[in-house]
Amino acid sequence: MSSHAMTFQHLRWQILRNTMATLFSQSWWQLVIIGACCVAIWVVIFMISWFGFHEMKTQPTWQLPLDGSFMEYLFDIFFFMLTLLLTFSTGIILYSSLFSAPESQFLLTMPIPDDEIFAYKYQGAVAFSSWAFVLIGSPVLLAYGLEVGSGAPWYYYAILPAFFLGFLLIPGSIGSMLCLFIVNLLPRHRVQLLVGTIIVAILGACIWSILWFREAREFGVGTRTWFDNLLNELSFLGGSLVPFHWMSRGIKYAARGEPDIMAYNLALIWSHGLFLYLVTVWLSTMLYRRGFNRLASGDSIRQRYGGHWLDNLIQLPLFMLDEQTRMLIVKDFRAFRRDPAQWAQVIIFIGIGCAYFFMMRRFYEQDIGRPFKIGISMLTLVATSFLMCAYTGRFIFPMLSLEGNKFWILGLLPLDRSRVLIGKFVFSAMGCLAAGGLLILFSNLMLGMAWIIVVVHLITIVILALAFSGMAVGLGAIMPEFRENDPSKIAVGFGATVNLMACLLLMAVVIAAIAGPMQYLHGQTPDHAVPLEEIPLYVWAGMTVGIGIGVAAIWLPLRAGIQSLRAMEF
Amino acid sequence: MIELIHVSKSYGNKPAVSDLNLTIQPGELFAFLGPNGAGKTTTIKMMCGLLFPTEGTIRIAGFDLVERGEEARQQISYVPDTPFLYEKLTGRELLQFVADMYQMPPDKATKKITEMIELFSLESFVDDLTQNYSHGMRQRTVFASALVHEPLVLIVDEPTVGLDPRSIRLLKDVLRNETRRGATVFLSTHSLDIAEQLSDRIGVINNGKLIGCGTLDELRQRADLHGSLEDVFLKMTEEDATPAPTGDKAIETAITT
Repeated sequence: MSSHAMTFQHLRWQILRNTMATLFSQSWWQLVIIGACCVAIWVVIFMISWFGFHEMKTQPTWQLPLDGSFMEYLFDIFFFMLTLLLTFSTGIILYSSLFSAPESQFLLTMPIPDDEIFAYKYQGAVAFSSWAFVLIGSPVLLAYGLEVGSGAPWYYYAILPAFFLGFLLIPGSIGSMLCLFIVNLLPRHRVQLLVGTIIVAILGACIWSILWFREAREFGVGTRTWFDNLLNELSFLGGSLVPFHWMSRGIKYAARGEPDIMAYNLALIWSHGLFLYLVTVWLSTMLYRRGFNRLASGDSIRQRYGGHWLDNLIQLPLFMLDEQTRMLIVKDFRAFRRDPAQWAQVIIFIGIGCAYFFMMRRFYEQDIGRPFKIGISMLTLVATSFLMCAYTGRFIFPMLSLEGNKFWILGLLPLDRSRVLIGKFVFSAMGCLAAGGLLILFSNLMLGMAWIIVVVHLITIVILALAFSGMAVGLGAIMPEFRENDPSKIAVGFGATVNLMACLLLMAVVIAAIAGPMQYLHGQTPDHAVPLEEIPLYVWAGMTVGIGIGVAAIWLPLRAGIQSLRAMEF
Repeated sequence: MIELIHVSKSYGNKPAVSDLNLTIQPGELFAFLGPNGAGKTTTIKMMCGLLFPTEGTIRIAGFDLVERGEEARQQISYVPDTPFLYEKLTGRELLQFVADMYQMPPDKATKKITEMIELFSLESFVDDLTQNYSHGMRQRTVFASALVHEPLVLIVDEPTVGLDPRSIRLLKDVLRNETRRGATVFLSTHSLDIAEQLSDRIGVINNGKLIGCGTLDELRQRADLHGSLEDVFLKMTEEDATPAPTGDKAIETAITT
């Protein structure tokens, strides 16, 4: 390791040590809560996965051998999606980290080889973009190991981190290369290229999803034949030249107790991962500083930004608000749409939503039983709520913190500070209501759900959209991080973790209280919709409790946030 | 020590710096003046290797910044107008980091760090995290980190903004001492009195072009004005901004002046 690389490692260690020391001395409970949240998430995923694998193995209609080709295909899909997500997220994080972070400018003026700065930033970006996937992936694979055959051998568990680490190098390097090429090759149209690439990827995912469920028409959803045919559709994923297939095969053979094939696939992953990493670092010697220069001087000195039709469009539904609040919302919207790193991630969110919608659409077209349809409608409600929860946590929670040292502008304006939060709340709620409401309405109508279920689901989504917005905005004001300029880092900080956990808890309570009883009732009598007058008292009681909790979750954090903001000194 | 040879830089189609020629000798303090948007920061960023010239060559201590960037940057320290500090490092750790990055021998690094702490009076806060520093403390720490590796070229952009009189005095002494040591100081500033007091030569840039370069007396002659640097600067930049009169207008202008 070169002396520069060692100095960077030492720097990382010092920053980590000082951060931990500060947290322990000033607010050790933050660390404890973050740790507890991570453990809770890990345990929940582990339990669900364990139950799922157990059911797949033991359910009479399925009885799938977990060490067969079926699981290999499922892992192919999982790691393929992981490859896509990690490629984009690493590329986006690296773009901000390499080209707009003040630290990069500082380092570029020092006598450090460009590839060493790049490698330092690359390691940070890969670690930052992948820790959540490791948190989610490890309990799934651990549960798989426990359920496969009569339990996986010991080295299966020992080798999993090696598989993950090696695999992360591949999408990380591809994302980094994309980032370098975009900045260097098309500096004047880089934003358009980025959007184009993401749109093509999303369209590809949608087409793929449609193909994926095409077989459902012929064989019916949920049958084993359907799965066999469906997996045949995905045979291209199982090609021996794709890295995610090496992961699938390696993990499967490790679980089956065949260490030779496991080691072969692990070697494939590491050799290709390291090779791609070397190529990326080599490219950075030529492209990093050049890209920095092109990005800084590709456009005119002062780019002119004027009004945009989108700004006018967003004001249309805000006619009932006063002028000042409207202007605050437009300000937030402008800041958002002018930051490619922000809206590119929103496009990824929309892509995930669209992929889910298209996948589910194939279920709607089937003559499947009503109990199954009712279950699908509930799943859609949960998935939509989860997307709203992730959106508010990632994009809305950091908004107040991002005002940071600019807050004196808003603080000195002749307006009540509560309007700042109300504006952000409306901005968030508009997005959530439009996307979530439409998705729920269309999916339920296509499933042919009874109108009462549609209404109940819409009430649930409205309550959750408003509550998530209220909590993200309110908690964002109670626990701001004014020192941090990077929204993605604020979104994984202490306050955002608390917000995420509170939102997930609220989501479970509100869905269980408002939609749960109605879903249960219709599940009992799946052949017909229950008339209004026959709906039992417990359904109404559940709805009342759920709405009450939801309203409290909208108002209380928002009020506390307003009080905190009013008392804040700048 | 610093050579800019026919240097031009464009942002897209718009020129920011045009055909800049400048040579600054070792031990010289060169003040670089110009109105906002004149091209000062672009020039500085090119001298630090952050931006590449569209045309021309920049050499630092004889090293071409594009061809032999690392060797050139080894000789440079750059203090920008809004300097970066690692918030989760102490001042001492930051100084050590910079010394390590410039690959100073450990004994020499320790000695220089102690010297810098003493010179800039950092003792009382050097072991606190920089996130807790005031503006003055940050600026002193940044200067200490810029000088710890004994650069041959010190490039400073607006160093006195927000500093109290004592800190400004310290800064002036430090810059003068650096030139006595043989270092070249390139000082970009709007503070004309500091430029007047400290500089050996002054360059004035406007609209990307060097419209004047020399000692204060030479600039006075160039501007045909025997006033302060402020008067000279204002006259030069005003003249440069006014389109050259032609015909009857030229005769009228000549009569009135």
